[in-house]
Amino acid sequence: MAATADETEEHADASAPDPRPRRSPGRIALAVSLFGELLITVGVLLALFVVYSLWWTNVIADRKADRRAEQVRDHWAHAADSGPGTLDTGDGIGFLHVPAMGNGEVLVEKGTGTDVLNDGVAGYYTDPVKATLPTSGKKGNFALAAHRDGHGAKFHDIDKLRDGDPIVFETKDDWYVYKVYSVLPETSKYDVKVLSPVPRESGRKKPGHYITLTTCTPVYTSRYRYVVWGELVRVEKVDGRRTPPAELK
Amino acid sequence: MYGWIWRHLPGNAWVKALVSLVLVLAVVYVLFQYVFPWAEPLLPFNDVTVDNQ
Repeated sequence: MAATADETEEHADASAPDPRPRRSPGRIALAVSLFGELLITVGVLLALFVVYSLWWTNVIADRKADRRAEQVRDHWAHAADSGPGTLDTGDGIGFLHVPAMGNGEVLVEKGTGTDVLNDGVAGYYTDPVKATLPTSGKKGNFALAAHRDGHGAKFHDIDKLRDGDPIVFETKDDWYVYKVYSVLPETSKYDVKVLSPVPRESGRKKPGHYITLTTCTPVYTSRYRYVVWGELVRVEKVDGRRTPPAELK
Repeated sequence: MYGWIWRHLPGNAWVKALVSLVLVLAVVYVLFQYVFPWAEPLLPFNDVTVDNQ
């Protein structure tokens, strides 16, 4: 192998003297071509990073989320005899259905750290404000976050939500039907008040059963946060065939 | 740089092309598997939560 390589090189050397200028480029020419190659490399790297963050992370996250969702459904099916109101021991507590976003069901898990959200799920806040789970029955705010792009991009189409659109949260035993009543298209990422049990920025003053969806905006960046608020309209019992409520048909 | 690598690959043009392809795939694999996941949290593209920090 090495011998052939040497041979070709010698061969190239031997034939070189004719096209003289091509054979020994000057130092500057070498430096310029090296610089050019480095620039091309950086460009390709950046392009690959875009492919990675907008496509590959979705592939990975969706795969993981699907598997987890299956586990949760399995768990529900097999633990049917446990009493009502008992929270699942698994990570997934339920599914979010938002017809306006047109992305089917989104698994909801505890926490909003990147380790949770990167698996293609929506997470409910535990910090800086603890979300009130609808299953608790208490008044409060069920605050959720999910990715806008990459990692499943579960809230990519959050801007499609309008006042009056349904947001349905499905647990083992109940369908919680919320209606959107307020949207904040842009706010600071430090605006933790949007998660308050009574989110005053949404216009509500009294305690109630609220749901808050947060993600980043504008798309492909995370300069600001996009917030959607909904209020519980009714709770439906899940029947034997898990017939979805009217809003999801 | 790439010219230098090409000259140091063994075999004829076809073998070189094949080896280059394998090298490129290996680099892409390492990037997607290790480098990008490491770099991503350091870049401000994907923070979706509101918080105090």
